[in-house]
Parts: sequence; C-alpha cells; structure tokens
Amino acid sequence: MGPNLFTNYGEAVSAILFCIGFTNLLLQTNLIKKIIGLNIMDSAIYLFLAEKGYIAGRVAPIVVNGVTSTEAYINPIPSGLVLTGIVVSVSVTALMLSLTIRLYTRYHTLDLDEISTQLKKEGK
Amino acid sequence: MNFICNFPFFSILLSLFSGTICSVLPAKAAKVVNRVVIIAVGLMSAVLLLYLLATGESFIYWMGHFPAPWGNEIRAGVLEAGMALFFCIIMYLSMAGGAHKLPGEVVESKHNLYYILVNLLLSSLLALVYTNDMFTAYVFVEINTISACGLIMIRQVGRTIEAAVRYMIMSLLGSGLLLFGLCIMYDLTGHLLMSNIKESVGLIMASGEYQIPLIVSVALMCIGLCIKSALFPFHAWLPDAYGYSTVSSAAILSSLVSKGYIFLLIKIIYRVIGFDIFNSTRIIDVLFVFGLMGMIFGSLSAIRENDIRRMIAFSSVAQIGYIYMGFGMGTQAGMVASIFHILSHAATKSLLFIAAIGLTDVSGGSRKFIDLTGAAYRNKWAGAAFTVGSLSMVGIPLFSGFISKLLFAQAAVQVEGKMLASLIVLGISTVLNAVYFMKTVIRIYAYAPDAPYKGITFRDMKAYAVVLVCFILLNVILGVSSQPVVDMIGQGLAMFA
Amino acid sequence: MYLILSSILFPILAGLFLLVRHRTPLSGETPTDRKSLIALTGCSLIITAIFVIAALFAENGFTLFYLTPSLPIYFRVDSVGRIFSLLAVIVIPCAGFFSFAYMKHEEHESRYYGFYLLVFGVLNALCFAGNLITFYLFFELLTLSSMPLVLHNGSKEAVMAGLKYLFYSLCGAYAALFGIYFLYRNCDSLTFTMDGALRASAIAEHGGFLLVVAFVMLLGFGVKAGMFPMHAWLPTAHPVAPAPASAVLSAVIVKAGVLATIRVLGMFGTDFLKGTWVQTAWLCLTLITVFMGSLLAYREPVLKKRLAYSTVSQLSYILFGLAVMNETSFTGALLHVLAHGFIKAALFLCAGAIIYKTGKTRVEEMRGIGKEMPVTMWCFTVASLGLIGIPPTGGFLSKWFLALGSLKSGIPVFGVLGPVILLVSALLTAGYLLPLTIHGFFPGADYDYNRLQKKEPCKLMRVPILMLTALSVLAGIFPFAIFLAYFAVTGR
Repeated sequence: MGPNLFTNYGEAVSAILFCIGFTNLLLQTNLIKKIIGLNIMDSAIYLFLAEKGYIAGRVAPIVVNGVTSTEAYINPIPSGLVLTGIVVSVSVTALMLSLTIRLYTRYHTLDLDEISTQLKKEGK
Repeated sequence: MNFICNFPFFSILLSLFSGTICSVLPAKAAKVVNRVVIIAVGLMSAVLLLYLLATGESFIYWMGHFPAPWGNEIRAGVLEAGMALFFCIIMYLSMAGGAHKLPGEVVESKHNLYYILVNLLLSSLLALVYTNDMFTAYVFVEINTISACGLIMIRQVGRTIEAAVRYMIMSLLGSGLLLFGLCIMYDLTGHLLMSNIKESVGLIMASGEYQIPLIVSVALMCIGLCIKSALFPFHAWLPDAYGYSTVSSAAILSSLVSKGYIFLLIKIIYRVIGFDIFNSTRIIDVLFVFGLMGMIFGSLSAIRENDIRRMIAFSSVAQIGYIYMGFGMGTQAGMVASIFHILSHAATKSLLFIAAIGLTDVSGGSRKFIDLTGAAYRNKWAGAAFTVGSLSMVGIPLFSGFISKLLFAQAAVQVEGKMLASLIVLGISTVLNAVYFMKTVIRIYAYAPDAPYKGITFRDMKAYAVVLVCFILLNVILGVSSQPVVDMIGQGLAMFA
Repeated sequence: MYLILSSILFPILAGLFLLVRHRTPLSGETPTDRKSLIALTGCSLIITAIFVIAALFAENGFTLFYLTPSLPIYFRVDSVGRIFSLLAVIVIPCAGFFSFAYMKHEEHESRYYGFYLLVFGVLNALCFAGNLITFYLFFELLTLSSMPLVLHNGSKEAVMAGLKYLFYSLCGAYAALFGIYFLYRNCDSLTFTMDGALRASAIAEHGGFLLVVAFVMLLGFGVKAGMFPMHAWLPTAHPVAPAPASAVLSAVIVKAGVLATIRVLGMFGTDFLKGTWVQTAWLCLTLITVFMGSLLAYREPVLKKRLAYSTVSQLSYILFGLAVMNETSFTGALLHVLAHGFIKAALFLCAGAIIYKTGKTRVEEMRGIGKEMPVTMWCFTVASLGLIGIPPTGGFLSKWFLALGSLKSGIPVFGVLGPVILLVSALLTAGYLLPLTIHGFFPGADYDYNRLQKKEPCKLMRVPILMLTALSVLAGIFPFAIFLAYFAVTGR
C-alpha cells in the first residue's frame, strides 16, 4: 500500500483534493465557498486524468520531427477528456454563480440556510 | 446500413438544433416547433421500435464512421427505442397539460427560453438513452442537469431559485462522483465505449487483480447516479423543486429527468459492468436497503405534508425507492419490474401533477388541503384524473401501479434472502400510500357548500381535459394489457447482453 | 356468459351514470329530480336482480381477458357463490327500497344511490369470480365502492370511520395478496376448487411455510369479516353509515370476507390444514371473537353500535364453522351466512326506521317504542329470536349444525369448548337484544300512555322489513337452504 501510494502520488493527491472539494460542496453553507469546492472537485478529476494520461519521457502526439513511432507519444484521449470536462465545469460554474447572484439580490445573503429560514418566514 | 438506423442520431440532433432555433423565434412559433419536434422524435422512435422488433436485434451506429474503439457510438435496441418513445409521449402530454398555465407562471418574454430548455432536455434524455460511450453520457448528464435546473428556476419565485440551487448542488455532487468513477474505469480498462469496457472488465474479473479499484469505480458511479435520481437520503432538493416550479416542469422533472439517470444506471449495469458481475458485489445490497428506506420515509414525509404538490413530490421519493429495490434484488425479474415501474410511475406521476394543478386552480390557487375541499366537484375532469392516479399509486388492480407491484412481488418471491423484507415493506408502503392518497381523494370529494371558488366546465378547458383522458388511458392500458410491454422489456434486456 | 357479465356491468354502469348525471351535484336535489332518481335506481335494482337470478343458473365459466398470460380475469358460477349471491340479491334491493324512504332526510342522494349500485355490481362480480386474482380485484373494488357509503354524511366522525375502514381493509387485502403470490408459485392454477390446489411437491418441500401463508391469508381476509384482532373498524364504520347502508354492510359486505375465507380454505384444501396449528389458532381466534363481540354488544348503549358488535360476534360463528372443517359444520356455516344476513338486515332496517321516525339512537331512550311502532318492533323481536337461535327460525338450524359439527369433529378441547361458548354467546345475545323488546312493549307503570303517538313508518319501509323478517323465519321452517348448502359441500 505505502510504496504504491508514493509512486502514484499524483493520483493520491487528486483523490484527496476530490474529497476536499466534495465535502466543501456538500457542507459549506456559503454559496461562493460551495462553488469553490465544486471547482476544486472538478480540477481534482482533471488532475487525475492528466496524471494517468502522462507517460514520462513522451510528448504530445503532434508529429514534428518525422517521428511516427507510437512509442514516442502519449495517448491524447485523456487530454481531450480534460478539455471537454473543463468546458462543462466552466458552464456549470457560470450557472451556479448566476443563481447565486439572483439569490443575493433577493435575500442579501450568501448563506443557504439563512435563505431557507427567510423563505419559511415568507410562508410561500 | 438501413436508413432507419440513422433515426437515433437524427432525433438527438433534431431536438438539439431546434433548441437553438427556438432562441430566435417568437414564443408562439417556439411552442409550435417544440411540439412538432417532440412528435417527430416520437414518430421516429416508434418507427425504430417497430423496425427493431421486426429484425429482432440491436444495432450500433458509428458516429462519423470511425470504428470502435476510436469512434463515438450510438446503440439502439428495443428497450432504448421504447424508452425514447415513452419519454416523448409523456413529455408531449406534460407540455400540453401545463400549457394553459404557462402565461401565468413565466414572464412572456421568456417563453421561448422555456421551449429551448425543454428541447435541450429532450435531446439530453435521448442521448442518455441511446449513447454507447461513457464520456458522452457524462456530458449529456451535465446538459440534462443544466436544462432541468433551468426548468425549475424559469418560474421566478424565491423558492424555485433556492430549489434550483439545491438541485444543482446535489446534482453536481452526483456528477462529480460519476465522473471520478468513470475516470477510474477508464484508467483500469483503457476504453470509453461500453462494449469495450465490458470485455476488459470481464478480463479483469477473471485475472483477479485490481478488484478493489473496479468495485470502487462501480460504486462511485452508482452513488453518483443515485444522488442525481433522488434516492432516499439524497432527496432534500426534490420537494421544493417539484413543488414550486411550473406544472409542466414538475411533471417532466418527476417522470422523466430522474428516469433518464436511472436508465443510464441500467445501461451501466448491463452494458458496462455486466449484470452478473454487478450482482456479485455488495452494491446491490446497499441499493436494496436504501430503496426500502426510501419507500417508507418518502411516504411518511408525504403523510405529514400539507401541500398537495409537495405531497406528490414526496411520493416520488417513495416510488424511486421501489425502482432501486428492484435493482437490489439482483435478478432479471427484479430488473424487469423496475423498468416497468419506471414507465408506470412516469405515467402516473405526471398525471397527478397535471391533475393537481386543475384542482388548485379552482381553489383560488391554493395548494393547502383545507382549500381543496370539494375541488373535484368544481373541476370534475381533474378530480377523476387525480382519483385514477391515486388508485394507480395505491396499487388497485386494473391500473398500472398494480402491475408493477405484482411484478415486484413476483420478483421478490424468487429471491430467498430479500423476500420477506421486500414483501413487508411493499405492504407497509402500499398502506402508507393509501393513507395520503385516499385522504386527498376524500378531501377533494368532500362536500364544501360555502367554498367561495367557482367551478370550471369542459368547455373552458378542452385541451386540458383531453390530456387528462390520454393520461388515464395510458394508465389503464399499462394496467390491463401489460404483457406486451413486459415482453418488450425482457426482449430489450436480452439485447443488452 | 352474457347474463353473468350483465349482472356485473349493468349495475356498475347504472351507478356510474347516476354519479355523473347531475351537472352540479353541489346543489340540492329538487323533488322532481328525486323522483326520477328513485325511479332510475329502483329500475336498476330490479333489473339487476333479474339478471343475477338468471345468472345463478348459468353453467359455463368464461374468461374476460388476461391480466398477464397466467392471470386471467375469469368468472364462473359455483354453488358457494350461488348462496352468497342469493343473499345479496335479496338483501340489497330490499334495503335499497327502504332507503328510498329513509334517505329523504339525507343529502347527496344521487351519490348514495350511485355507489349503492356500484356495490351491488361489485358484489355480484365477487360471488361469480372464478379465480383468486379476479376475486382479489373485486375485493379491493368492494372496499373502495363501499367506503363512500360509510362516510356518506361527511361529518368528521364519518370520514375518520371511512378511513379506518379503508386502512383495515387494505391491510387485510395486502396480507391476502401476500399469500396469493405464494399460491401463485405453488399451485398449477388459481382457479377456485374445494379440495386443495397446492402441488404435492410444494407441500412436501415447504409445507411449514405454506401453513404460515395460509394463516396470514385467513387473517387478512378475516379483517373484512371482523375477526379478532382486526375487528376494531367494524363497530366504528357500520353505525355511522345511513341505516340501510349499514344493513348492507353488516349483512352482505362483511360476508365477502367469509366468502374469501371459504375460497382460501378450498385453495389450500381442508386435508392440508386439518389438525395443524393453523386450525387451532384460527378456532381460538374465532371463539375469542364470538365471546368478545357478544360481551361488547351487551355493554353498548347505542343501538346501531350494539348491532355492529353483534355482527362481529355472529360472523365468527360462521368462521368457527369453517374452522372446524367438516361437512356438518360447513353446512351450518353456510346456513348461518343466509340466516344472519336476513336477520341482521332486518334488525338494522328496524333500527333505521326507529331513527327515522323518532330520532332515538340509544337503547335506554327506547322505552315504550313497541307501543309507538308495533309492526317494526314485532319484526325486531322475531329477528332477535332468530339471532338468539330459538326454533323454528333460521338461526336455530344453523347453530344446531355448527354445534353438531363441532362435537362430531373430535378436535381436542375446542370440539367441546366451541359449543359451550356458542351457547354462552347465545345467552348474551338474548341479553342484549331482548331488553329492547321487553322495555319496548312493557314500558313499566310510570309510562305516560297519553303522550303515545302512532309512529309506524310508511309502507316503503315496512315492506322490506317484513319481507326480511319473514325470510329469516322461513329459512328455518322450509330449510330449502339446507339443500343448497348441502350441494355446495358435495359439489353436485
């Protein structure tokens, strides 16, 4: 277990980061902090993918010096996935932020629990 | 390759692009485009279903003609086509049933936005149903989440925005877990296409190495999808989201969106991991227990509820519990029962939401039970429809709910260890369902001579009444001649393997 | 086929028609409305009765459609079904005509008659059901269609009683459904038989578990028949309904539970259950119910409630007869189904007439009632004697057979204890019914005869009461029913 963890430190770090992001998204009451948690969580996954996709000593699969052997290049798909993922997480973050602004202008607080209590008071 | 094989791709693309077109159209035209697209997709799915039933085997469609394992694939079998057709029917009826309420609920200038979201939702649902690629599935899961969130918050009330935020948070947690599980799976197998992953998973299981990471990945994906489909402990966002959004949104969200995720889970179970391997893990026991808990606690919350729409929403939690209980049994019969319940619940729950709005409309817009007294006399069609929906939920023979309960019980009898637990909980949940639904039915048929609200006649709500009748027919058809549907589900599951 | 189908569908359609006929059911009915309503209901009742009587002679069963390939909705007329159907076809129209007079002072008549007809149709379907799944379907529908009769007056008390009725019945029906799943697995078909449908291999393999299933099913269907420990709904639900509806509930609808029990008994087969713990436990429960029901009735001051408790007790006489499981007691049980049906309907209608004319509900208020309403009270007395079991009424014969069967059965302890308890309960029955007659006709020296008014009810009320009372006596004098019951047992 120990040596494995050490050699795969990138994956270990990304798992830890994922947990940090996940708990933040779940447990923080402040909406902005929640969104930060979301971003940490997503970035952790991209780190994981990038870490898995990287092979030491190889380069991105762009043929420059006429080297066509597959041994010289890494698998491009994980990088592609990271890019797609970033697009998705950016759009989700934007949506969350816009919702947060809506709530803030309405209730003048970023605390989700407080918003809930205010809503209960409104009784609607 | 036959021309019909293009239909899955066409229907996804059609709904996606029509969404874009709607953004520049005026509201009325957008509405027409929306309806036409849903009908067109429904027709295409129907033709596809007939074609698949005739040929008797599924097919795989290569996007851009890149062969596996490099390209992106769409796969269509009887179950996928049937699901797509069913989703279209429910979506059309829900949209038509809530159409007369839309002007009051959404600002005029945002109507076309509403139709964009609906089209987007449809396309993402179709993609979830048809795709054979895990990462595509993830992307469309996110699109589904975003459009569902839009559908919740398009009615601009404090509650809906809060509900949308809560929904987003839970959904993001779910999709985060799904993505992480997916990455681990990719890491282990080196593939993203479902069929290829399944081969590698078989090899991994046979080799005896990397068992734990595999199980962890499967568990992460399962939990992610459970959160997104509002299985019991993750349902906090649901009552507000369903209770305060527009009628059509509530009907669509409760009957389709969560079902899309559940269908994806079924695909993962069958097409990615393999049914037998999945059943050999402890995950099904966890699903089973949470399913049972959901059945009871969902109903208990519904009983305490004082607001008719929130009550129906809580009842969804219980019904989702049924579906996961069927998964948890780990048998083919349990799975068939679950899939039938997906259909039956979708047909019933959207009926209940649509009927409830008719009742609240003739009670001064209030959803409190006290104001609903005698509402069924003021709007007879909605009253009758609500009664049918309730009877189906309680599981009275001749309605769809009874058949799904029958299937669940038959499945349960075959599983030695889980038989008693599932039968007893089914019983308790049936009685609890009866408590709150029959209470409501009695309430709306109670005599309220001095209620200050005016009744509504057939002439004022023709379209609405027709939609209700369609829903009732759908329920009765599922309840009376369920066998073709059950056969089709069995056939579709056989194609999954 | 068409006769059976029309005896089921016609009343259901007629009932639905009545329910949707009024454009605005919120407004009160006008006199002309009322006349047409009564005419419609009366005609429907009579036509249905004719259909049912004709259907009684039908020979062949038929399958309506298939719920799933192995679960047909199947109807057929058999001898047990005939007896129950005979009871329904006499009591329901009688009580129906009674209600034309009685319901004058109640609201929502069209709703009442609509559901009344629905109940009639569903009951016919129940009697003619040919397999368990069909039976279950109509068992659920019976609960749903009879519930509006219970909560008819819409008071909070009535609604709570209706809900209580609903939940007890649903719990019971679910317990029964639980058993049906297992029967479905262990039988070749769910079509009713009288000598056991279980596969021999299934009995050999897990007989012990099937006994549990049998017990759960008997308990579940027993709910409808008011068997201890699930009897509490009956004394709450029956009295709050309008009197003719309570008559139907108490005389006919609870018998659905008895019919269900007979069906279950037939499915498992008496050979399988005889001498097992299930029989012992069941006998025990029925005897407890017989005794407890009588005792509670004895202590109850409100007349209708007293009659409801009496129903609890008397139904368990029938269940006791079934639990003994020999032919004599079975004959006794079937006879008591008829006898109790006629008697209890007559008693409830009498109580209804008293309430309608005087508004009195408590027993102690009814001093001198016999002087005011002699015909009604005479009927009440005769019916009471029948329920106590004094010859030559129908109640005597059935109880005789029950006791005889029990003594002949040779079951240790209960074989002898049973008749003793039946006797004690008969004494209690006398104790709770006869005081009405005694104080009714002999109000005592301090009764003010000057204030006496004749309050005899109108013909529409008197005739059904007289008919039912006469039937309860005739069932004893001309025990044609015995032959029917005998045929039912031997299957000829």
